[in-house]
Amino acid sequence: MWTILAVNVILSIGGSLVILNVVPKFRDMFVKAHLSGVDLNKKNKPEIPEAAGVISSCIFLIVMFIFIPFPFSKHFFNKEWGFPHQEFVQFIAALLSICCMVLLGFADDVLNLKWRHKLLLPTVASLPLLMVYYTNFNSTTIIIPKPLRFLLGHDLDLSALYYVYMGMLAVFCTNAINIYAGVNGLEVGQSAVIAGSLILFNIIELSGDCWSNHLFSLYFMIPFFFTSVSLYQFNKYPARVFVGDTFCYFSGMTVAVVAILGHFSKTALLFFIPQIANFVFSLPQLFHLLPCPRHRLPRLNQKTGCLDPSVFQFKDKSLSTLGRLVLKTYQLLGLIKVEQAEKDGELSQSTNCTLINLALKLTGPKHEKTLAAGLIILQVMCSGLAFIIRYPLASLFYDS
Amino acid sequence: MWTILAVNVILSIGGSLVILNVVPKFRDMFVKAHLSGVDLNKKNKPEIPEAAGVISSCIFLIVMFIFIPFPFSKHFFNKEWGFPHQEFVQFIAALLSICCMVLLGFADDVLNLKWRHKLLLPTVASLPLLMVYYTNFNSTTIIIPKPLRFLLGHDLDLSALYYVYMGMLAVFCTNAINIYAGVNGLEVGQSAVIAGSLILFNIIELSGDCWSNHLFSLYFMIPFFFTSVSLYQFNKYPARVFVGDTFCYFSGMTVAVVAILGHFSKTALLFFIPQIANFVFSLPQLFHLLPCPRHRLPRLNQKTGCLDPSVFQFKDKSLSTLGRLVLKTYQLLGLIKVEQAEKDGELSQSTNCTLINLALKLTGPKHEKTLAAGLIILQVMCSGLAFIISHPLRFDLSSPVIIPKGGENKSDINYLHNTFEIQFAHLPVTSKLDDDDPAKDLSYANEAIDKERKKYLEKIEKAPSYL
Repeated sequence: MWTILAVNVILSIGGSLVILNVVPKFRDMFVKAHLSGVDLNKKNKPEIPEAAGVISSCIFLIVMFIFIPFPFSKHFFNKEWGFPHQEFVQFIAALLSICCMVLLGFADDVLNLKWRHKLLLPTVASLPLLMVYYTNFNSTTIIIPKPLRFLLGHDLDLSALYYVYMGMLAVFCTNAINIYAGVNGLEVGQSAVIAGSLILFNIIELSGDCWSNHLFSLYFMIPFFFTSVSLYQFNKYPARVFVGDTFCYFSGMTVAVVAILGHFSKTALLFFIPQIANFVFSLPQLFHLLPCPRHRLPRLNQKTGCLDPSVFQFKDKSLSTLGRLVLKTYQLLGLIKVEQAEKDGELSQSTNCTLINLALKLTGPKHEKTLAAGLIILQVMCSGLAFIIRYPLASLFYDS
Repeated sequence: MWTILAVNVILSIGGSLVILNVVPKFRDMFVKAHLSGVDLNKKNKPEIPEAAGVISSCIFLIVMFIFIPFPFSKHFFNKEWGFPHQEFVQFIAALLSICCMVLLGFADDVLNLKWRHKLLLPTVASLPLLMVYYTNFNSTTIIIPKPLRFLLGHDLDLSALYYVYMGMLAVFCTNAINIYAGVNGLEVGQSAVIAGSLILFNIIELSGDCWSNHLFSLYFMIPFFFTSVSLYQFNKYPARVFVGDTFCYFSGMTVAVVAILGHFSKTALLFFIPQIANFVFSLPQLFHLLPCPRHRLPRLNQKTGCLDPSVFQFKDKSLSTLGRLVLKTYQLLGLIKVEQAEKDGELSQSTNCTLINLALKLTGPKHEKTLAAGLIILQVMCSGLAFIISHPLRFDLSSPVIIPKGGENKSDINYLHNTFEIQFAHLPVTSKLDDDDPAKDLSYANEAIDKERKKYLEKIEKAPSYL
């Protein structure tokens, strides 16, 4: 087992070196193909190659392809246990889902598909996984947490709903990462932290009962971690490439895939605390209860060179009752800063409902580099919190 | 089995209807994303959305995803035979190779990668297939055709070379389709004809020994055929979309995948006769023995509205000896038309070395629509020829209906071979063991296995030579 993991690590390091080598060479090709975005938070607003996530995703896939024989070759597995057929087909199906996601994500970056497509694409890409799961007669029963057992019994067979849950997990992970973005290096940084946390979690669980699930997860998370770290070298402040929606899709899908097949999706979601918080916080704007501008990333203050929270403008009267209620609640909780219009005809403004803007509101204007670093540290701390919830507190909810 | 095939056909028809519906809606998006090409052979040189092949490929993949449970769900397969694990993982691995190929092909269309990448991309995309093939302990032994057996023996284990052959097959199929292009509807048309021929071939073989391989191939070829036919509605003359390299990659890889996993790659190549002829004919230009212009498609004659063969220009002196030899040979065979320079300093010109230009040379200038139709008819005729070459007396002409021989899964060569390889090949032949050898006691080393082994060897002996 450790030999196979060692091979995986070596291939992953090889992949990350290839990425470090290859990304600069593709920059011109991307710009010529009109795959570029403007870095809004720099003084000179430079045009930067976009969708570089497709490069790291392809390298990840190639690493995984080369790795295929190692966990399953007859030289490595124990003949007494028999050939691990189900794991093999799940491995290939997981790669198929990830590959399909990268294809659809790249098509989204190139063609600029609409928002409703952003919910559809991960569902389509998770189809192979769901189909294989179904064909392998996999279980759709969940264990009920202890406090609720008196109500629902020890376990509950969700059947079709379980498939909906799995599909939704992919949609959620991809989009949660996608909207928690806007600062150089944030998308890749958060993904790398989540991957690292999952690797740690998997290694701890290797000595537990479900070690084979966690080994399976490590096979994916290790290359994902290394390729993300090397892509981060180009995306961190000051960004030389943008990763595009391709990377967010790829990232979310890879995590969703290992969480589903490893049967630890609830724990995996614990590592998504900042993303979940950002998502919930953003809900009023996402559902247009409050106005939602095209970009909600922080704005550059030309004089100070630091980032300020960005705002959306609105007329008090044009808000719905619910919208006004939400606005007041957020304001009371100190989550947003509202500047009321002085006269009736003028527009009021409020900071956007994202975690990044909230961070800037709490700490004051910050330089982009500091903000990015701070948010990644926040992600690490939330992962630590997740470990605390999972381990000591888990016994409150489940039998060991 | 027929139920599953019926489901496949229904899903494929559904997919083709979706394509007919969806492609027009994407046209603006493609043009806005700068994915467009100029139709050089129209008077007004319109700009047409390119890489529409990605749409039909994605619909194909979605159809296949939805289809996944049907051949393998516990409701459908015979429990006596056991769950077809190997087929299942090969099915998913085949989809992974095709999906990867579409991704890389689309990236090529968007980023305009160089020619050397066009050889690398199919190799990368065929990696999953090769890896799964290796891990499944699949055989790298080929049966030598009877005429050569005195030379090479009954079978030959190619081992690593077999993997090279499989990788090259993918590279060849994709690029052969890619260079046999330039007329509206040709890429999709030729692919549809090849797919249709393979479907016919597979249906015929369903009543043979290796029916499970051909059933596997049908699962892929039927959706491929239907999606290609509906894409053809938009790509035929006058083209409203171009399919891009994406489609050529997708098409070549899908055919290569079924040919490899179905173990009928040699027969599959027989259906590529026009593509092979075009490729061989083009070799001097591809290797730059003769000058190779950027585009070799036929040129539009503005006055007549018909297509003429396109030409490349050269100085007699700047050709290498080999180049001049090739030029002379082609000229003697009547494959190209050379106009020599009258004076020394001027350029000579010759028609390009492609099958399309040759067709125009032989038939005279033709309208693009007629030319496209003619080339597709040529493809159909070559498929017919391929059938004659590979099936002289293959199917029973007296039987009015082709009925598949169901039930005897154990007669399937691959089932025997794979079962044998995985479970028994490392075991000693029981009859050759000494009586006090402990292996003789083991429950799995007994006479039944020897019988299976003998049956397997007999089946191999009776197998058609093209397998």
